[in-house]
Amino acid sequence: MADDEFRQQALRHLDALYNLAVYLTRNGSEAEDLVQETYARALRFSHRFEPGTYMRAWMFQILRNTFLTFYRLREREPALSEAGVPDGEAPMFHHAPAEDGETAGAHMDLERALGRIPEEFRTPLLLAEVEGLSLEEVARIMDCPVGTVKSRIFRAKERLRALLTDYGGPS
Amino acid sequence: MTPDMDGNEPDEMARLLRERLPRHQAPSRLRVSVADALDPPRHRRPSLWLAPALSALATAMVMLLWLAPSLPRSSPDQLQRLSRAVVSEYARAVFAEEVNPGAVPASLPRVMRESGVILPWVFTGDQDIQLVNAPLAYLEGGRALALTYQDHAGHSVSYIITRAPNVAIPDRERVQIARWRPAVRTEDGFALIVWKQAGLVCVMVSDLVSDADLGRFKEYFIKFRSSTEVSDSY
Repeated sequence: MADDEFRQQALRHLDALYNLAVYLTRNGSEAEDLVQETYARALRFSHRFEPGTYMRAWMFQILRNTFLTFYRLREREPALSEAGVPDGEAPMFHHAPAEDGETAGAHMDLERALGRIPEEFRTPLLLAEVEGLSLEEVARIMDCPVGTVKSRIFRAKERLRALLTDYGGPS
Repeated sequence: MTPDMDGNEPDEMARLLRERLPRHQAPSRLRVSVADALDPPRHRRPSLWLAPALSALATAMVMLLWLAPSLPRSSPDQLQRLSRAVVSEYARAVFAEEVNPGAVPASLPRVMRESGVILPWVFTGDQDIQLVNAPLAYLEGGRALALTYQDHAGHSVSYIITRAPNVAIPDRERVQIARWRPAVRTEDGFALIVWKQAGLVCVMVSDLVSDADLGRFKEYFIKFRSSTEVSDSY
């Protein structure tokens, strides 16, 4: 793929990458750093990109790997536990449009609940349900079998549902 | 959009996420900086001076490569300058009595990221000496990671790790301590042990300068050296 075409395509995914970065880092400025590093790596490894494959999934994969390498240490999240939900809540940044109190409350609850789900569950859920990636693409990004992705998305929803019930939101 | 585990149609939670979860748009400054980073250099205006400048630079590099074997690899002044900077940092920390053991686990990841020094393993202490702080240190304009320890007698020992590729450890200052051969030196009345590990320069500094104290300082070196693993994040 020509460099120009690669760059143009890569730039199209900026908003989606930034959105996932915010939900991974839970911090606006760290999300910006993460996205910048993702693009730097993508450019460095652009020769490895196979034309004809889905660039969006490839960029998400780089972003997640970069996050795991440099940022996750700071999160001090417990290792993946099928049973547990990590304690404590980290603040999340967002620039949501102006909205009424009830809707804003629902957004906050949803973000708060999402922030309490381990990354291994949160990322496939966001990739599949928010970004609309196929299970096969998510599996490639997460470097695990499709069955595991399905299971994690299912569990993520269960946990989210339970947490939202705790907050008094939709069940 | 995915079905549930049992293959049902997309559920309520998926709808909730798509409709209610705020989407974060990349700030314009990020868009500009990413676009700049992706901008191919050939799109920029070619400068008339670029070709001759590059040619001169290439000639200079060839000359440098030719002369490189005969050039001194490192000046001893660099080690001395680093030692002085380390002592200044140590004296400042001791004077400020920066002791904050409770904050170390929380601050260490940030300090590692900002200093560029990664510590896969850290010596946190034993019955003789305890890790009490892990601040970011600044040595000659560069960032370094400092681990501050306090021993049972109240002596402070700082273990500073920095990227200083031009600093060489002279053979004449090296001393055998257990299975290592670091340099042992004094600077402004403080004792220092300097060595290289994983391409990084590690310096221990303390006010343990008497003969008896120096023995203890070397014992601390063995503990730090054998129980702390360092690596460069770059």
